[in-house]
Amino acid sequence: MIGASLPLEGVRRTIDAVWKMESAKIVAGLTRMVRDVGLAEELAQDALVAALEQWPESGVPDNPGAWLTAIAKRRAVDHIRRSARLERKHEQIAYELEQRQPDGEPDDVLRLMFLSCHPVLPTEERVALTLRLLGGLTAAEIARAFLAGEPVIVQRIASAKRTLADEGVPFELPDGGELAERLSSVLDVIYLIFNEGYSATSGDDLMRPELCLEALRLGRLLAELAPHEAEVHGLVALMELQASRSAARTGPSGEPVQLHEQNRGRWDRLLIRRGFTAMLRAREAGGPPGPYMLQAAIAVCHAQAATAADTDWRRIASLYEVLARLLPTPVVRLNHAVALGMAYGPEAGLAVADLLTDDPTLRDYHLLPSVRGDLLLRLGRREEARREFLRAASLTGNDAERAFLHRRADEIPAPEAPTLTLGRAARDFLARDDLDGGTVRSYGQTLRRLRLSLGEELPLDSLTADQVARVFRTAWGEAAAATWNRHRSAVRSFCAWASLEDLAAGLDRRAATPNRTETIDAARLDALWNLPGVPLRELTLWRLLHESTAGVTTVLSLNVEDLDLDDRRARAGGGWVSWRSGTARLLPRLLAGRTRGPLFLADRRPGPARAPTPADLCPETGRGRLSYERAEYLFKRATKPLDPAGHGYTLRQLKPRG
Amino acid sequence: MRYLMTTKATDAADETLYAEMAKFVEELTAAGVLLATGGLEPGGVRITSSGDTITVTDGPFTEAKEAVAGFALVEVRSKEEAIELTRRFRKIVGDGESVIQQVFGP
Repeated sequence: MIGASLPLEGVRRTIDAVWKMESAKIVAGLTRMVRDVGLAEELAQDALVAALEQWPESGVPDNPGAWLTAIAKRRAVDHIRRSARLERKHEQIAYELEQRQPDGEPDDVLRLMFLSCHPVLPTEERVALTLRLLGGLTAAEIARAFLAGEPVIVQRIASAKRTLADEGVPFELPDGGELAERLSSVLDVIYLIFNEGYSATSGDDLMRPELCLEALRLGRLLAELAPHEAEVHGLVALMELQASRSAARTGPSGEPVQLHEQNRGRWDRLLIRRGFTAMLRAREAGGPPGPYMLQAAIAVCHAQAATAADTDWRRIASLYEVLARLLPTPVVRLNHAVALGMAYGPEAGLAVADLLTDDPTLRDYHLLPSVRGDLLLRLGRREEARREFLRAASLTGNDAERAFLHRRADEIPAPEAPTLTLGRAARDFLARDDLDGGTVRSYGQTLRRLRLSLGEELPLDSLTADQVARVFRTAWGEAAAATWNRHRSAVRSFCAWASLEDLAAGLDRRAATPNRTETIDAARLDALWNLPGVPLRELTLWRLLHESTAGVTTVLSLNVEDLDLDDRRARAGGGWVSWRSGTARLLPRLLAGRTRGPLFLADRRPGPARAPTPADLCPETGRGRLSYERAEYLFKRATKPLDPAGHGYTLRQLKPRG
Repeated sequence: MRYLMTTKATDAADETLYAEMAKFVEELTAAGVLLATGGLEPGGVRITSSGDTITVTDGPFTEAKEAVAGFALVEVRSKEEAIELTRRFRKIVGDGESVIQQVFGP
């Protein structure tokens, strides 16, 4: 036993460490007992609180994990007794649980992984719940790692638990045909966590190592729990090998160092060896290589090359070719282009990279212009390369990467005679004083897209109608006709001003499509009311819109004090909004005792920069009024699976016909 | 963060101890914590440098009791975790001493 004289802070830290090491096992064992992961975690938290109260006095027990488990189990038994009102049958269950070893079953933790990565949950909730339950991280720690607000993470975790409970997701190992799909969901969550750490997508750090470590731990754990799954070992191999380069991939001031320029002496041989071992286990497990094994095989090629020049690019290119068949994502195809460029020369790479410039999903992906810049530079097309590097810099959200891309652009001398660039012309065009504010904003949107997609520094006289058409296809190909036409007339106006030939020549004016205000049919409405995991606020809003046939703005502007729950109506402007039983059932729960302020509240308090008027603030919670945009977005997202066209519906479509 | 735990030689270990140690090592590996571990030969070879002279001396050395007999490299989230692991290890091996040091690098 550690002496009781430990300072309080020391005990706290010890408890925290023990919790992180033991919580997955404890929560998993409890979930098997109480069949509800939310409740299980609450019980485990109770045990943690008990430890915080008792250990500073009594000292840390010899086996702290067992101590926590025992306390939590006792609470679980109490809970079952209470909730079962001492029915004989449940009494028997409680008795049996009491007698059972607290160790739990070996597969419990694996079950917990499958549960927290269950496909009924949105991806971000899977990630948060996994870090919480399997990694033992607090919401604050997860929020920090993802640069998110703590309330957001708390909400994600709560929503995930609610969904799992509502859906009655069993605490079981998936079998047969389901296993592959469920396992790939677990692998994807782990790799997502790893990547968020490895290539921090935003902020000023290029790495958030704690997330990489957490993902590695989860992967290694999974490899022990599911040793016969080749892809699990493939993922572990991939992460170990990528992590082995951590130290070498940033320079002294945090700037990224590309693979071929890395000091291979700084690669972590220990992790490389672990990666190779995991790869061997993956091969032993057998079966055709899946996406993680293929990516790991590519990482093995890099790790085996003593110098960048020794890299077997032909093998890497052929591995990417197989991977692109399994996983034809734009990013994989871009990497294929890089490999081809290395194996067979820049022209071969550029041919594939150029195909990707038409892909809307890569529209704002900074690595595409960055790769093209590289290939163009090797082909001696220096000015084009310089512009691609600048464009890549304008697209990345990462400070270190932006600085690096600017440096690459600066290494290429700019043209002697400064030509009029697209960026310059666009600024001059918008700075005219004969345009009103609305027009400037509207034209500004169009030109901003052109500048982002084609580069600030593109000489205006080299701009072609083909380029403009390509930007339009990737940016607004799917947009409504009115949007397309608005951007089209902005381009025409810009051309007239700049005395350019008509660059909108490749763009047809689109006939307006009829407004999508057809209502949602009865069967889909029925499915809508029964959608799993819909928060109470959304459900109430949708019901109310449907039953009242009132306008969306009107309903969102309702205040709690305007409601007359008994008569099922509310005063709105000069008239009344009234509803029926569906809404009436939901409203009291939504109000939860609130007496004043907006009926529908935003998820969080508004930031200081956009303080709403007092009328739009809840005096009790400080939260603002739910906005139309947000409500519309949530509805659209929720109804995507119901809409045969896959777009999702708009709130106005809730209004019944006639 | 990584910690290297080194353990000094203890009196002869028996079968049960080895079995318990093996179980512990297995557990830590499964938890993704243990990166590398190994026992060290007693004695070893000592290489000293002084000015331009390098002297190589074969063991055993008189202060054998103080020599490191085994090591474990662990990946943990805090010093407290490393201490907790070492505490569990010491519970298994009995009287003696281990040292943990954070590893910088690679």
